Amino acid sequence: MTNKKVGWLVLIIVGLLLPLFINNQAQLLLFTKIYILAVFAMSYDILLGYTGIISFGHVMFFGIGSYSVSLMLKHGGQSWLNIVIAIIIAIVLSAVISFIVGVLSLRLKSTYYAMITLAFAELFHILSLKWRSLTNGEDGFNFSKYIPDLLKDRLNFYYISLIFLIIIAYFLYRFVNSATGKVLVAIRENEQRAETLGYNILHYKLISSIVAGVVASLSGIMYAISYRYVGSASVFGIDKTIDALLMTIIGGVGTLFGPLLGSGIINIAHELLADLAKVHPIFERWLILFGILYVLIVMFFPKGIMGSLHKYRNSLPLFKIRKSKDG
Amino acid sequence: MELIIILTLNGVATGMLIFLIAAGLSLIFGLMDVLNFAHGALSMWGAYFGIWIYKGLEQFWLHQNPNLLEASWYPWLSMLNFIIGIVAGIFIGSILGLLMEKLLIQPVYGNHIQQILITMGAMLILAEMVKLFWGSNLISAPVPALLDGAWEIGNIVLIKYRITIIAIGLAILTFLLWILHKTKIGLIVRAGVQNKEMVQALGINVKKVFTLVFMLGAGLAALGGVLMAPFMNQVYPTMGLEKQLLAFIVVVIGGMGSVFGSAVAGVIVGITEAFMLYYVPDAALAVNFLLMALILLLRPSGLFGERG
Repeated sequence: MTNKKVGWLVLIIVGLLLPLFINNQAQLLLFTKIYILAVFAMSYDILLGYTGIISFGHVMFFGIGSYSVSLMLKHGGQSWLNIVIAIIIAIVLSAVISFIVGVLSLRLKSTYYAMITLAFAELFHILSLKWRSLTNGEDGFNFSKYIPDLLKDRLNFYYISLIFLIIIAYFLYRFVNSATGKVLVAIRENEQRAETLGYNILHYKLISSIVAGVVASLSGIMYAISYRYVGSASVFGIDKTIDALLMTIIGGVGTLFGPLLGSGIINIAHELLADLAKVHPIFERWLILFGILYVLIVMFFPKGIMGSLHKYRNSLPLFKIRKSKDG
Repeated sequence: MELIIILTLNGVATGMLIFLIAAGLSLIFGLMDVLNFAHGALSMWGAYFGIWIYKGLEQFWLHQNPNLLEASWYPWLSMLNFIIGIVAGIFIGSILGLLMEKLLIQPVYGNHIQQILITMGAMLILAEMVKLFWGSNLISAPVPALLDGAWEIGNIVLIKYRITIIAIGLAILTFLLWILHKTKIGLIVRAGVQNKEMVQALGINVKKVFTLVFMLGAGLAALGGVLMAPFMNQVYPTMGLEKQLLAFIVVVIGGMGSVFGSAVAGVIVGITEAFMLYYVPDAALAVNFLLMALILLLRPSGLFGERG
């Protein structure tokens, strides 16, 4: 345990000092993005890593957050109150939607949840494309002039994102180590056994999916503010779900640190490969490389980098994911 | 009245195309417990490869004989090119299905989470490879000259290509039902859907049957893809995911593991879509979603499925 605390402490200090060594806006934005998407990936990990359920539509909550804050600011004007209202709207909407999707599909085999979340996310994607009067469809809209000045400063926003990451990571840490979190892990390990012990599986799975959905919508809010723009493809596209999947799998499922590591790797690699695209067009299709890497990791290192490290050190039994049959 | 007939035929044609994709999805899930998230991508590969071959052949013959377009037998040649394109599409679909099953699905057999994650990875790779080979822009896919145009009976316009699709869809449905109910391999598949451990215990190599069904499903999806291309007049890199979504709705409504259910649900979804697109275009997908949600609430195993 102390090892982990030291790790997070080092990370916080590095995060706080990092801006001293960065003097360009692009890199500052890159790290801001790493923190925000790390939160998104952590919320995904609550589902995949801690509860053992797969969602392919996690992006819908991200998009709900992004659109609620950008629409509130655009229509309500530059004010902190509107941001607060947007946060409330995002939390309520994502909780309600994750509840509905969960009730519909969590009772059935795990494949149904994956299928139905994917379908719902695409429904939202199409809705945001078609409802042009509200969302401006594919082109999206810029709302930078409505963002409070404090949030517009890149350095300020970097620190806000870092604090956001720390608060959410702490909250999720408390959540997965709470009694409820332990039941979730029990469900992941052996659903039948958890059920036999008297736990209402559906009830706990719903809690897990609501927590994941709400946190994802918060990361969506931060993402929209950092980019000062929303567009249907960037916040509702399946690519974002795949990003979360890649970050979680590559970093390591069932650890909160893994998604952060994954977010760093994916976003930095994304940036580097975008530069390489000028050298050879094959790098424009960088997703292929990640896709292959992802498949190899799922096949041979299903615990990802963090999991494999832990296994190597033979410690921390919490992170063990047995090859168990899910129902 | 004419309008209703035209819209219904449109809907049935769309439904048949979705059925071709959904049938494999449903059968694979019923037998192997694997929901193939790369199914739409396999279908898209069929479409791109088939259309590429078809258009390539057209170009080739035109290059040989610049006056070809005037020749009276040109429509027949074009039709032949299209058929070769279809065969090529089915071929690439089955080969990709075979590779996927052998390389990706068999190694993680029995672990649901890994299976779902890995087919998603396969989707990612297949979809990106389409963009790598054929670019991200849409490619036109013309209807072969012989099937272009329409028959007119009174006020009713029957678009030839749509009628062809319906005919092919019905033929495939009959063929599949015949295989499932009248052949030995069909018997094994049906028994496998009910209880695969028992089938294995009886000394049947279930793994081989899995591979075969996966290839068949992928081939059907590819066929659906090639036929869909001229129907939409184009192929584009997001078509795989789009059609997969409809196929998901269809298998949920029809019931996992039931080929007949997929056909019925495909037609229901197709007709709903055709009518909604005409009257309230923006709500077309939403209505099919509601239908799916309703089925999930009231009868999670689907109209013709045996288990949930």
